Amino acid sequence: MSNAQIEIQLILSLVAVACALPGVFLVLRKMALISDAISHSILPGIVVGFFITHDLASPLLILMATLTGVLTVVLVEYIQKTGLVKEDTAIGLVFPSLFSLGVILIARNAGDVHLDVDAVLLGEVAFAPFDRWMYNGMDMGPKSLWMMGGILTMTITLLSLFYKELKVATFDAGLAASLGFAPMAIHYGLMTVSSVTTVGAFDAIGAILVVAFMIVPAACVYLLTNNLKKLLIFSSLLGIFASISGYWLAHAMDTSIAGTIATVLGLIFFLVYLFAPNRGYISQWYKEKQQKTEVALLVFLLHLANHEDEMERNSNHLQEHINWSHQLARKVLKLANQNNMIEIENEIISLTPKGLEFTEQAISYITDNKNSELEGIKQNYFLFRG
Amino acid sequence: MEQKIAISIDDLTVAYNYKPVLWDIDLQIPEGVLMAIVGPNGAGKSTLLKSVLDIIKPLAGSVTVYGKPYKKQRHLVAYVPQKGSVDWDFPTTALDVVMMGTYGALGWIKRPGQAQKKQALEALEKVGMLPFQNRQISQLSGGQQQRIFLARALVQNAAIYFMDEPFQGVDATTEKAIIQILKELRKAGKTVIVVHHDLQTVPEYFDWVTFLNVKKIATGPVAQIFNDDNLTKTYGINYKTSIVE
Repeated sequence: MSNAQIEIQLILSLVAVACALPGVFLVLRKMALISDAISHSILPGIVVGFFITHDLASPLLILMATLTGVLTVVLVEYIQKTGLVKEDTAIGLVFPSLFSLGVILIARNAGDVHLDVDAVLLGEVAFAPFDRWMYNGMDMGPKSLWMMGGILTMTITLLSLFYKELKVATFDAGLAASLGFAPMAIHYGLMTVSSVTTVGAFDAIGAILVVAFMIVPAACVYLLTNNLKKLLIFSSLLGIFASISGYWLAHAMDTSIAGTIATVLGLIFFLVYLFAPNRGYISQWYKEKQQKTEVALLVFLLHLANHEDEMERNSNHLQEHINWSHQLARKVLKLANQNNMIEIENEIISLTPKGLEFTEQAISYITDNKNSELEGIKQNYFLFRG
Repeated sequence: MEQKIAISIDDLTVAYNYKPVLWDIDLQIPEGVLMAIVGPNGAGKSTLLKSVLDIIKPLAGSVTVYGKPYKKQRHLVAYVPQKGSVDWDFPTTALDVVMMGTYGALGWIKRPGQAQKKQALEALEKVGMLPFQNRQISQLSGGQQQRIFLARALVQNAAIYFMDEPFQGVDATTEKAIIQILKELRKAGKTVIVVHHDLQTVPEYFDWVTFLNVKKIATGPVAQIFNDDNLTKTYGINYKTSIVE
């Protein structure tokens, strides 16, 4: 590995973690789209900052662009508060306008500005090692490495100081307000951190990958854990993993690094979405299927409990009476038999004491909705489990 | 003997987008009552709680808690929001939610430690949820979630408890358990204020009631003012029913 390659992977990993940490909270607050809005609407801030400083890593430029990011949030909330449009519409109104303003500014001043819209959206991390910080003639390393290192340090410091406040304001803003934890201040704090991170990262990796780094790792790990700390740690690790594997994949295919990383992230999400235990698609599908069968079983047992008449309980006429397909009727009959809930004598089905008890308990749960009983049923029977 | 006033609301008007939700409310809540706030949907019941708790800024009027503004009396007040106001898929456990009740006393930046954990476990035990302490909150039933919220308020060890519809969507056992705890709080001299929907249970559960429908209709002891006349004024329908025993 060359020095430049190591530097690129380091920058990518720093950006990944710096984005994943605020990203977790954006996802939990159902504000994922805001990161998309910020990543675009900072453009006019960057352009104006660049006119003044002629340096993409200048603190003044970062400050101006960050203010544009926060302005986006303020505008979105202001428009939303009028009650004339919904939040998603407000986002859609604000960021294209600000972004277009940036595009116009670049086009009008194309001669003076070494900035183009493609670079803002897609970035080019491969060039990041060339823009170096020289201090007293000494090479201190790539500028973006320092910048992202600084932003990440700030994020981690703020997060460890205000973890408790951020958690309670995200989970229950009403409680946070009544306890005096100023949820609005925390909200704007988070928005400012997200904006600074986006501004710091766009030059190296582009606005699109910033959004991917903020949202995708958090969305993946959210399906896998029930613990906020683990969500933060594993989202960061997942971002690093996608960065490094995406980098080498792009290297092998000789294609865009940012594009490949975003694709890798997308693929990882797809896999998690399918295979996550409990919350994944397959597991949900299986659970629903299981529940359908269980409800069918209960209907069947109820039918048996309600009818004395042997005609109604003949195993060969079952489907006509309950109006089920042959297949479903067989399946339910087999299931009930396996669990010793019914017995069949001369093709006449009757409930066993166990079957009767189960039916009564299940009905009493459904009608009373008493949770204490539900706990018992969950332990004794597979129905309603999970 | 003159009863102390826990909460005093004077000329309170609250508006959303310039549409008044609460109009010129004057309300004195004596210390040590277990009070229901009743009124139709949109009467401003939750808004009244939120304006007392400084979550909503009023258009006019003022609220004091034991004679001082709420901001100076936060430690005296615990709040249980509506269960539906939070996202129960949030990645956290029952114990952790109850711990949040200790955050107010901790203040900014300081992290909860063993002492706070012990308080939270005690509160969980009080509401019968100790066995579920490590359960993810989405895995709890509606009644269990409400008990967790109650435990979180108990941890605050406040003098005044505000609860927004604590019986919404809970099972009968939980409802009994919750009202039992609320009655114990009153016995201990605390003031408990509950937004309540089920008119039938008002005489059984509460000793004080406020009728609210944008304006305050009436407030006082249940035995004296919970009658057809006030119900009719509040709900606008003729209450010639037998719901009051």
